[in-house]
Amino acid sequence: MQMFFQAAISGILMGGVYALIGIGLTLIFGVMQVINFAHGDLVMVGMYAAWLLFSHFHVDPFVSILLTGPLLFLLGALLQRAFIQRVIGEAQENQILLTIGLGLLLSNTAMLAFTSDYQLLTTSYSSKAFTVAGVSMSVPLFFAFIVTMLVALALYLFLMKTDTGAAIRATAQDREAAQLMGINVTRMSVLAFGLGSSLAGIAGALIAPTYYIFPQVGHAFTLKSFVIVVLGGMGSVVGASIGGVLIGMVESLAALYLASGLKEAVVFALFLLLLLFRPSGLLGRART
Amino acid sequence: MSSDARGLARASKLSLSAGQRVGVIVGLLCVVFAFLPFIVTKPYLLHMGVLLFLAVIQGQAWNILGGYAGQHSLGHAAYFGLGAYTTVMLMEQNQISPFVGIWLGVLVAAVVSLLIGAITFRLRGPYFVLASISVAEIIRLLALHFKDVTRGAEGFLISSVPALHLGPIEIDFLGKRPFYFAAFTVALITTALSYAVQQSKIGYYLQAVREDQDAAHSIGINLQAYKCLALVISAGFTAWAGGFYALFVKFIDPDTVFGLDVSVQILLTCIVGGIGTLLGPALGALVLVPLSEILRNPKGLVQLGLVASDSSIVRVIEERFSNAHSFVYGLLLVVIILFAPEGLFGVLKRLLGPARVRQS
Repeated sequence: MQMFFQAAISGILMGGVYALIGIGLTLIFGVMQVINFAHGDLVMVGMYAAWLLFSHFHVDPFVSILLTGPLLFLLGALLQRAFIQRVIGEAQENQILLTIGLGLLLSNTAMLAFTSDYQLLTTSYSSKAFTVAGVSMSVPLFFAFIVTMLVALALYLFLMKTDTGAAIRATAQDREAAQLMGINVTRMSVLAFGLGSSLAGIAGALIAPTYYIFPQVGHAFTLKSFVIVVLGGMGSVVGASIGGVLIGMVESLAALYLASGLKEAVVFALFLLLLLFRPSGLLGRART
Repeated sequence: MSSDARGLARASKLSLSAGQRVGVIVGLLCVVFAFLPFIVTKPYLLHMGVLLFLAVIQGQAWNILGGYAGQHSLGHAAYFGLGAYTTVMLMEQNQISPFVGIWLGVLVAAVVSLLIGAITFRLRGPYFVLASISVAEIIRLLALHFKDVTRGAEGFLISSVPALHLGPIEIDFLGKRPFYFAAFTVALITTALSYAVQQSKIGYYLQAVREDQDAAHSIGINLQAYKCLALVISAGFTAWAGGFYALFVKFIDPDTVFGLDVSVQILLTCIVGGIGTLLGPALGALVLVPLSEILRNPKGLVQLGLVASDSSIVRVIEERFSNAHSFVYGLLLVVIILFAPEGLFGVLKRLLGPARVRQS
């Protein structure tokens, strides 16, 4: 039982970061109906940004999210404005292919710039842990979880309480009606893609102290974030948060009871089952 | 090539339609490829030829499902890898001749594809794409995990491919030439099959499914049956290519045959050439394979005698672009989707087609 709690808690902590990545993806999907296959690569860019800032300027990754967040926002906004905007409303296959292409460009630019070697961002607390009621928690993951919850809360308040947030939600609900109400939907799309990328980047920076950093690291995050988003219902921010934590737990428990090499296979198998039996997600409404 | 065709047309005082012109060019190209190994013996060129034909086979196979039936699978690595692993494991662990094993690989992939189709074809659009990726990833992770059966990440190294006995004839697979002719033949067969499917009732049914599944269903087309038919054909040829690739390259591991890169590359071949067209996959392969091979191994340019051995081009590619082939893939994807979503075949058809009426 002790083992179970240990695995579940570790999974929840990791799941917080997954949630942040998933929220970014679901925001982008909600506003533009574009499935962003470059999402994991944006996480990767966030990891490298944190690593560069740490190794050259000794900025702690938890501090450098103040830089990586805005940086990734700009990158995302640029990608949206220069590329994604051109395929909005086109065949979904083309959008998928375009974002796959952009993802390849990002990961291979990283490879040309930093080689494909594994990089480590080792802080003084990278491998520290503390124990609560017999369950040990990794210090960096614990703080990462706290930060992700704060960021998610801030985003939620932004979307619910501000005019811009309301405009983004309106665009997500009905693009044409929003446009008729005088909302600049193109601007909202740029904003949403920027925000989504920013969340991915922050998540990347937060896990940088506990993860290997290499150009292809994004693949796994892309696939996992799809699972999270479908689990929570496409476009639902709250759903993605819960989905992220659930997937983190499933992975951790699968690693404990099956084998760590199979934890992702279990996640994908669950994903297939979900697609078959409840494609609208756990929280989503039934499709009409 | 195009000027040859035009010259030919002028000489015989025939005016050929665009389709016939393309036919003439393709015919000439096939003749060139058939006789190439007798004229040029450089192993590098034959090596590239085999990879080219394999890309054509995979592209044509994908196109039957993705192009004609509109089911954009991003999980064809599953079938490629199943073909490769079945062939190699039967050869290395059960001493079954690879010339038998490769067909058993096709059979395995066909059976598995029916299973996968039963699950994923109930989904549409992006959900289908995501499901197809997931299936391939699950198989890759299983292959990595069950080391007792698959040797895991270590993979298989094949020492030699035995000779093929066809009655009194014995063909040894030591040089590259037999691989070249075998792959060429199957590439032609796959293309012919793709043509047959396109022209048949099945082809029209598949296109109906692509254009509007609900409408196709309402006029009595059994969606599941026709999608599965396209998938089985597609998976079978992809598996053959996988088995052949393993025998040719002589090394496989889960990442190289089951990886997402494999699926993306297959798809890219079709996108670059033109999805849903008969010659698109071949055209895409003609562009992509030489490009990626030269970026991977620029010394090939020297072997081909195209550049001097001390040329700075080779050094520049080796130093700066040694891993750039994926970068180029990404760039091509972005450029093609934004500027020529119909692919190169569509662009060429416009250029080769009858002269457009000039705007006055």
